[in-house]
Amino acid sequence: MRCLPFSLSCFLFFWSCAPDYHLHTIPLDSGCASKIAPLPMTSSWYHASVDVTGNHWSGLVLIKSMPDSSHRVVFTNEAGLTFFDFGFSKDGKLKIYFMIKKLNKKLVVQTLGKDFELILGEPFRKGPLQSWDTGQEVYFGVKQKKETAYFITSKDCASLQRLEWGDARKRRVSVKISGPGYPSPEKIELTHHTFALRIALTRIGQE
Amino acid sequence: MGNYVNKIAVICLPFLLARLFQKTLGLACGFFFIASLSAFAQNSPDQPIADWPSFKKQFATESLRLLSIRCDFTQEKILSALTEKITSTGKFWFKRSNKVRMEYTHPFFYLMIMNGDKMLVRDDQKENRITIKSNKLLQHVNRIIIDCVQGTILESKDFSVNVFENDKTFLLVMTPLSKTLAEFFKNIRVRVEKKDYSVQSIEMNEPLGDRTTILFTGKTLNEQLADAMFAL
Repeated sequence: MRCLPFSLSCFLFFWSCAPDYHLHTIPLDSGCASKIAPLPMTSSWYHASVDVTGNHWSGLVLIKSMPDSSHRVVFTNEAGLTFFDFGFSKDGKLKIYFMIKKLNKKLVVQTLGKDFELILGEPFRKGPLQSWDTGQEVYFGVKQKKETAYFITSKDCASLQRLEWGDARKRRVSVKISGPGYPSPEKIELTHHTFALRIALTRIGQE
Repeated sequence: MGNYVNKIAVICLPFLLARLFQKTLGLACGFFFIASLSAFAQNSPDQPIADWPSFKKQFATESLRLLSIRCDFTQEKILSALTEKITSTGKFWFKRSNKVRMEYTHPFFYLMIMNGDKMLVRDDQKENRITIKSNKLLQHVNRIIIDCVQGTILESKDFSVNVFENDKTFLLVMTPLSKTLAEFFKNIRVRVEKKDYSVQSIEMNEPLGDRTTILFTGKTLNEQLADAMFAL
């Protein structure tokens, strides 16, 4: 019984270190990849719900597809004040057009940039794609410096299941999409797995 | 080393984000209420007011007669560079003193209540209670709101105010004096009806050209409003 705390600590330590991924490299199925790869989003307004370490905030997000194939992301509060406005150029580079000083910190910019980069499917347009098998799902991914961006489908390549950022072992961020309207789905839910940040977007239907 | 920095960053980020959101939310909500407590609308040939001292005195006096407002509002946010706009509608209530309730009903639900030095915001998922005294920015904004309610906005140290008029309305063009406010606003244009000194519309112009206009319609003035509407 005296050993219980130690044992529990060891269990939690090894459990937290356990890899999320058991990926086995497989030959790329180009047909499935091109069928499932996230399409560029069209322009839509979303109501955003943000939960950070027990705090809850909301606002409006505009995702705008530009004529030159770039994307803009604008966040305002419900009253209309703009908090940030950034975009991804055609080649996927992040550009900040406006960000209030209190948010304009390197860490915040990087996090928001990577989150929306994944939501918009930007990494998958940079290629080259690789693919992996987990037994139940097929992962298609593009490796970047430290992480890999994945889009994930079922074994039968029926539909896009989710998007993820992860390194060799751990899942960092996942994005689930649901509801009609793809490629601008009704609901987008982004979850960070390494700290408590969740962003839920619900498309606003305007008359 | 890089990994170590990354781990620290991961640990610190949520707290940093939480702090940032907390501060900016308070500020933004406060600004909104400022706008809401004033009022405006459209313009035609506006001329600078002829008699500034007389107007100032009259504005303060007449504002005191406004005990409550109940109305609808239509808010239009225009992103000029992106040629995009979003229109929302809802209900607005004001009760002297320092009580405001703003309820967005379409195309999303959002509720803001300000009562003295406390504020509540609620969306379709959760609600937040904020004490203005715990937030310096909000405290700063609260001062402006009180100035609006008391009719002393023309003496505000946060804005320089220019006043114009046409035959039906006054136009208050409020230009921020502090850097904090200037980050959010190029100016705020509040149009006030001459007949009852109630707000007709509010136009918040942002530094990069975006604009939010709130138009108040169907106003009922000085009716009894239950305090329960403003309960937090």
